[in-house]
Amino acid sequence: MEIVRDPQTRTGSDAVDVRASAQPTDRLEVSRKGPPVVSLKGLSKHYGENVVLDKVDLDVSAGEVVAMVGPSGAGKSTLLRCINLLEVPDAGTVTVGDQCVDAGKEVSAKDAMRLRRTAGMVFQSFNLFPHLTVLRNVSLAQERVLGRSRAEADARSMELLERVHLAHKADTYPARSSGGQQQRIAIARALAMDPQVMLFDEPTSALDPEVGLEVLAVMRELAESGMTMIVVTHEIPFARDVSDRVVVMADGGIIEQGEPHQVINNPQHERSQRFLRAVTER
Amino acid sequence: MEHVSAVLLGVPYTLLVTVVALAIGAVLGLPLALARRSPLAVLNVPARVVIDVLRGIPPVVWLFIIFFGIGNQFVTLDPIQAGSLGLGLISAAYLAEIYRSGLGAVHSGQWEASSALGLSRTDSMVRVVGPQAFRVALPAASTYAIGLLKDSSVVSAIGVADIVFQATGDSRATGAALAPFLVAAAIYILLGTPLAIASRRMDSRLRMRVAR
Repeated sequence: MEIVRDPQTRTGSDAVDVRASAQPTDRLEVSRKGPPVVSLKGLSKHYGENVVLDKVDLDVSAGEVVAMVGPSGAGKSTLLRCINLLEVPDAGTVTVGDQCVDAGKEVSAKDAMRLRRTAGMVFQSFNLFPHLTVLRNVSLAQERVLGRSRAEADARSMELLERVHLAHKADTYPARSSGGQQQRIAIARALAMDPQVMLFDEPTSALDPEVGLEVLAVMRELAESGMTMIVVTHEIPFARDVSDRVVVMADGGIIEQGEPHQVINNPQHERSQRFLRAVTER
Repeated sequence: MEHVSAVLLGVPYTLLVTVVALAIGAVLGLPLALARRSPLAVLNVPARVVIDVLRGIPPVVWLFIIFFGIGNQFVTLDPIQAGSLGLGLISAAYLAEIYRSGLGAVHSGQWEASSALGLSRTDSMVRVVGPQAFRVALPAASTYAIGLLKDSSVVSAIGVADIVFQATGDSRATGAALAPFLVAAAIYILLGTPLAIASRRMDSRLRMRVAR
């Protein structure tokens, strides 16, 4: 969590360089900015006939904030869910931190769990545990997965609840909190596992626009603290102002990506032009 | 009044058979429910067959089969043991279905959130999904328990000296056709009502805590 972001990687053009450096010869370039925290190679997923992801490659370096936009059905959420193996890809490799999983081979439950631990996930529908207090929601996995004592876990949880401005909710049940508050609690819960990357799956889509802002504010703070983030979102202003790179997905692949203003204001691909016009000009 | 003291003699047996049967059912119902939910055919097909067979045969027939069949030929079972075992197995089938519907009612997002946090399947079940499923299953399970308290009267057919057995005996001995059975009816109501109240209380308390 306390990753110090190299100021170099914040600039959009650098981020694009990292992304483009798929060739082994560019490896040196990558390592200068720190190795990618998330690396997807040839990721494919289909449900029956329906190809959801078609050989997708994506590298995200430490401290980088990537916004993924695109029409629904493009495969954005599936891609995100493949990163922590909530969906098991049919082909390709997923590397998060130093954990690598090859979809071609049998993925053991242990490997899957280890990989999931390195990636924090925030869901559209929050998915807090309704039968546990807010504090227990944040502490449970710290104790069961990281082996922290209850006191340690609770102390860490309070710190994080403080950070999302909800320490006063610690002893209440999630149902007592608004949607925006629940989503911030969910963010704290994911951060409690000290993930190397945070994955956000349309975190504000279930919230009314005003409440969504408080969640976006927390995410902005998180981005500024240097957290590596991949955010699937329809919030174009957030993508433009907070992210280092915007990735446009359509029909199971990445059709365009680059510096946020560049991509959003001046998309090159016909499909991204159509989509971005639809979301920005309403 | 003499009817009352005669029929009351059956209360301990009714309670004993009900409680033991529920305990057996509550424990055996769990693996049955989990097997039934398994995506593996080797687990869910047999579980389904077991549940259907247990529920498909009338309890009194089960008791005869267990008491006269298994009880005489292989192991010796007294009526109480046979009655508790028979009702326990049947309860396992019903409770398995109740557990299963409880587990099914828990949103899949709860499993996903648990996995995403790195919790093992066991931890997810025990700490996250199970407690919520329990809350959902509680009303149905307590309705079943109250039903079992009454339906346990079938054990009188194999000679367990429960409330109905005592009422029947008293009726024969005294020639009173109605009174012993009215007493039995009153006793069942007195036993069942506190259970119903307790389960309602427990349900609303849990509901308050996890109101959605």
